[in-house]
Amino acid sequence: MEPHEFKLNEEGIKAVLPPLEAEIMEHMWKVKVATAGQVYEYMKEKHPDIRRSTVSILMNRLCERGLLKRRVERGRGGMRYIYSITTTREEFEVRVVQSILDALMENFREATYAYLSKIKK
Amino acid sequence: MLYALIPLEVILILYALGRSGLTLILGVSFTLVVLYLWSSRHRFGDGLMPLERREFPWLYDGIAKLAERAGIGMPKVYLLDDYIPNAYSFGNTIVLSLGLFEVLDRDEILAVAAHELGHIKNGDTILFPLITYGRYLFAVTTLTLLLLGSNIVKFLALLLYIGYEVERSSFMKGREFKADETALRLLRVPLSLRKALEELKYYEDLRETVKVSGVPSIEPSIERERKFTFIPETHPTYEERIWRITYEMNQLANRNLQ
Repeated sequence: MEPHEFKLNEEGIKAVLPPLEAEIMEHMWKVKVATAGQVYEYMKEKHPDIRRSTVSILMNRLCERGLLKRRVERGRGGMRYIYSITTTREEFEVRVVQSILDALMENFREATYAYLSKIKK
Repeated sequence: MLYALIPLEVILILYALGRSGLTLILGVSFTLVVLYLWSSRHRFGDGLMPLERREFPWLYDGIAKLAERAGIGMPKVYLLDDYIPNAYSFGNTIVLSLGLFEVLDRDEILAVAAHELGHIKNGDTILFPLITYGRYLFAVTTLTLLLLGSNIVKFLALLLYIGYEVERSSFMKGREFKADETALRLLRVPLSLRKALEELKYYEDLRETVKVSGVPSIEPSIERERKFTFIPETHPTYEERIWRITYEMNQLANRNLQ
């Protein structure tokens, strides 16, 4: 997933992801693999009014963004979708920084160089 | 009314085109019958997995009980690998998408299955394809009459086609309500059908809404393809169905009290 937007007033990955999607990703990076039902139970603690539909839509949206992947699991407990992470948090952060710096270098090359060299000092 | 329109169309094409009209009707009908037979013997769609009792005993047994109550045999049940909640039926088969299992509870999923069983019990799974094929027949014959017919024939052909579309829409909507009514009588917890529809409506609304105040920054990009059409809807809205279900439930409750 390449971020297309960076919100300067948001903290952490909420700067590049909508708030609820960011919360789901934070949780998924911890557990790595989960069903939408399990994520719903986790999200419900913080957001008592959240509905299963919201979590399902957001998790599938994260699949479309390439941050999660989905597979069907068959077993005695029935058939269900299992979601897993496609990238670690660290890899994701590296990609975010790379994308932003690439965009800055392309649009404000001199200023970006100047500022980065100042930071080094 | 719907059934009367097809013979009228046949009479019109025979009047306008004579023997060629008869050949056209026989040709199109034969093609549609072959298409119907072929499609009824083949699975609809990819990603269908047969429901195994050992994997989903509650679902299998639940559907078996509903079928028994409906007085029909156990239908074939398939699960569809699709994250969008959806269900449909054809012949003696019910298809439930895996997306349903993410957004509905067990009673609600059985309620959706009961609605599909309602379609099977009421004969809709045979009627719907026939009506759809009738539409294809109408499309071909109307087009032919518009190209070859006199002005009065063109006018009548167009009138019959519009009549068929309006009647088809109203007929199919009526059958959806009837399937809901059947489901309400089959279900142990009739309220679960209303709850299922409310949740599915919420899901659809959420997908279609760019920004919802309760859930900030949700901009689902997974909206269904919007069809540009002047043809009337064949499915009632969720609101219409919920309203009718509530009314039916009240009627059932009143009858039980008497």
